[in-house]
Amino acid sequence: MIARDKLNLLKDKFGPAILRADLPDDGRLFVSVEPSAIRDICRYLFGDLDARYIISIGVDDRPFSGKFLVTHNFAFDAEKLLVCVMVHLPAENPKLDSITRDVPAANWAEREIRDMVGVEFEGHCYPKRLVLPDGWPDGVHPLRKDFAWNEVPKDFEEEREFEFDEPPAGCTVVPFGPFHPTLDEPAHFRLYVEGEMVRGCEYRGFMVHRGIEKLAESVLNYNDIPMMAERICGICGCVHSVAYVQAVENAAAIKPPPRAEYIRTIMLEIERLHSHLLWVGLACHIVGFDTLFMQSFRIREPVMWIAEKISGNRKTYGLCLIGGVRWDITAESRAELRAVLDKLEAEWRPLVAAVLKDRNIQKRTRGIGIADKTACKRSGLIGPVARAAGVDIDCRRDHPYAAYDRVRFDVITSDGGDVWSRVVVRAKEVFESIEIIRQCLDKMEPGPLQLGIEDELPVGRLGLSSVEAPRGESHHFVITGENNRPRRWRVRAPTYQNLQGVPAMIKDQQIADMTISLGSIDPCFSCTDRLETIDLKSGATKIWTEGELLKLVRTKKA
Amino acid sequence: MKPLLPILGGIANVLLLLLVAPFFQGVLRTVTARIQSRKGPPIWQAYFDLLKLLGKEDIESGETPLMQRFAVYLSLATVLTLACLVPMGFPVPMNGVADAILLIYVLTLSGVCTLLAGFAAGSTYSLVGASREMLTMIALEPLFAVAVVIGAVHTGSFRLDTVLNGSVYAAGVPVSGILMLGVMLLSFQAFVQRAPFDISEAETEIMEGPLMEYSGPKLALLKYAQMAKLIIYSALFVALFAPWGSGLPFFLGWLVFWAKVCLLVLLVTLVAATHARFRIDQALRYFAGLLGVALFALVLAGYGY
Repeated sequence: MIARDKLNLLKDKFGPAILRADLPDDGRLFVSVEPSAIRDICRYLFGDLDARYIISIGVDDRPFSGKFLVTHNFAFDAEKLLVCVMVHLPAENPKLDSITRDVPAANWAEREIRDMVGVEFEGHCYPKRLVLPDGWPDGVHPLRKDFAWNEVPKDFEEEREFEFDEPPAGCTVVPFGPFHPTLDEPAHFRLYVEGEMVRGCEYRGFMVHRGIEKLAESVLNYNDIPMMAERICGICGCVHSVAYVQAVENAAAIKPPPRAEYIRTIMLEIERLHSHLLWVGLACHIVGFDTLFMQSFRIREPVMWIAEKISGNRKTYGLCLIGGVRWDITAESRAELRAVLDKLEAEWRPLVAAVLKDRNIQKRTRGIGIADKTACKRSGLIGPVARAAGVDIDCRRDHPYAAYDRVRFDVITSDGGDVWSRVVVRAKEVFESIEIIRQCLDKMEPGPLQLGIEDELPVGRLGLSSVEAPRGESHHFVITGENNRPRRWRVRAPTYQNLQGVPAMIKDQQIADMTISLGSIDPCFSCTDRLETIDLKSGATKIWTEGELLKLVRTKKA
Repeated sequence: MKPLLPILGGIANVLLLLLVAPFFQGVLRTVTARIQSRKGPPIWQAYFDLLKLLGKEDIESGETPLMQRFAVYLSLATVLTLACLVPMGFPVPMNGVADAILLIYVLTLSGVCTLLAGFAAGSTYSLVGASREMLTMIALEPLFAVAVVIGAVHTGSFRLDTVLNGSVYAAGVPVSGILMLGVMLLSFQAFVQRAPFDISEAETEIMEGPLMEYSGPKLALLKYAQMAKLIIYSALFVALFAPWGSGLPFFLGWLVFWAKVCLLVLLVTLVAATHARFRIDQALRYFAGLLGVALFALVLAGYGY
């Protein structure tokens, strides 16, 4: 009904601009609209109807419809609805009005489409290269279907360097990254610093592209991709694999058996447990409190062991298939899991009490890295960052998947919007996760693990899935395709949106607070950098010898 | 007094300092590990670390290698000079040669060396670290000077053996001495550059700051100087504020002294393991408060309390 209501609202307001609509179930709405009306429609959805912006996706649909496809995805969290607003653009010279003036959160997504698919966005507020490597030639778009997955553009300029913006007057530049001991992953913030105060920054990321999405639509098949999806991230891999599988199941209208759903839920929550414990530890490490860092990791370790016992691996569980899961949780593992949870709860409670009482930690985190409700809306911030600002969203409750509609849990919120609130939210969410796993263990009944799928999956259907990763909503979009593989698969990891909120968080505070502010979103650069270019640096024409490299770094001259 | 004796005593102290500094570092690391539910490295690990670093390639990646070399040698040399001016179980070796004013100067110089190392390296993070070190020094150095001067005021002498023998309590009612004891206890972590005041190095923020561009033997010397500093400051603290037992017969007195140093190192470890790092502005506010108390104590000392 909700989907129908929203569609009627759009039809009343925009009439002929709404071309087609598809309402496969009450949680999804796909609307095809006139390109000329896209800006007004998005402004109406985002502004008047207060939808949350998720992501924009560009698709090269020329081999099938002769057109390019761009969709802007929105969520109505309170009403459990995901909306795709789609436009078809001509094959020659595709152009579309940018929505960034009304929806600032679309900044990166539109730049990515411009880089990867080659759709120009007119009136974009900051149309700079985002994803492609520095030397990549203009006009070559790797996600187009006529670009092979293993192709290397001939005129790649090895020597070309990224052009950074000019820092504002009176500021010096402090490079933060590409490698920094607290990041552990490559990302580059150029901080504009005045004394010890950060006045602004420029971000250059996307440095470890692994071509995952391109591989999925050209080399892998439906059931290979969950394994690949799981390797997007070393922390929330299971989230990506479940989200992908659910997106395909959503597109093909498949419902996995209940036991499979419970197992997925349990593994997702185990993953959240270890991720939150890891994060609290790292946050303490960043502010120089190594004792809590070590204790947190000690408490976390049994969670890794039980994951290994259940799945055969500490991480990368190899869990999902389309229509089910690959393995069961045995009675023995269930008993052990319960014991681990009891111990974890008993140990985590005093640690949280210690953290919550510690004035020293509060001194370093209160009022730091603030993102309030307005900032969350503007930049599309999600997960603990949004919940810490009092934005009550959680995909597990708002867009229920797996077995989350059959368990009871609270969505933890806080209202400070600062790093401290994020610590509190994550620390308390651990208890909810423990409860969820216990309920799943109670309610799980014997039954099949997989659905026998007899036929080929239908072609050209769209599927969406939002999964609440430890860091926020992980959103997957799939168009089913021929040859047993999707035509397009787009992963929007939570860090993709949360990272866009960081410049506002670190502005006008000290450099010392930069790491903990950035750390507080629990950035996952490997998730964000999942994109589809080939690492040219490693296989390109010039190969550096070790000696040359050493000479380069020591003398600063090539 | 024969002129040879101070020199021999000084050399003995320097050797002793070089010998025990890594051991106390090992104690510190082992205890930290225990607090963190870890096993920790062997207690001799600090010796191996130094040997390993000494044997490694020396990469001169900073802006002014010559200055860097100078800064490194100077920082270790300063700490070793301090060893001649501080009682370490025995009376001060260079007693007749130097006085408390020189001690204060050399202590300040050891801080300046870190600055020099940071500025000579010249990378962004080194500079941030050096500027933090400078701010800390400005707020911190007066504290020790005030403590020494209070002792001098009470005893009416700048002689090292007089001042460095619990002289702060020499007044009839040692109000100023007790105030300074509190101030020094609260700021001791900062003097030995441990959490919560490891601000100028802050690995997770500015990647070891001034030390960033140093590797191999140079890093070893800087680390050695740092380890030795912990002992020097502990010894100074014991001499100024906890001199009891120094009059005991030779070996017993020596043992009591090192037991006190060990206790102090354990205290440092405990505090470091249970606190998050301060931000530089928070630390400065904190030091400013302590400085106020210290100056008040100085005034009291002037009136004979």
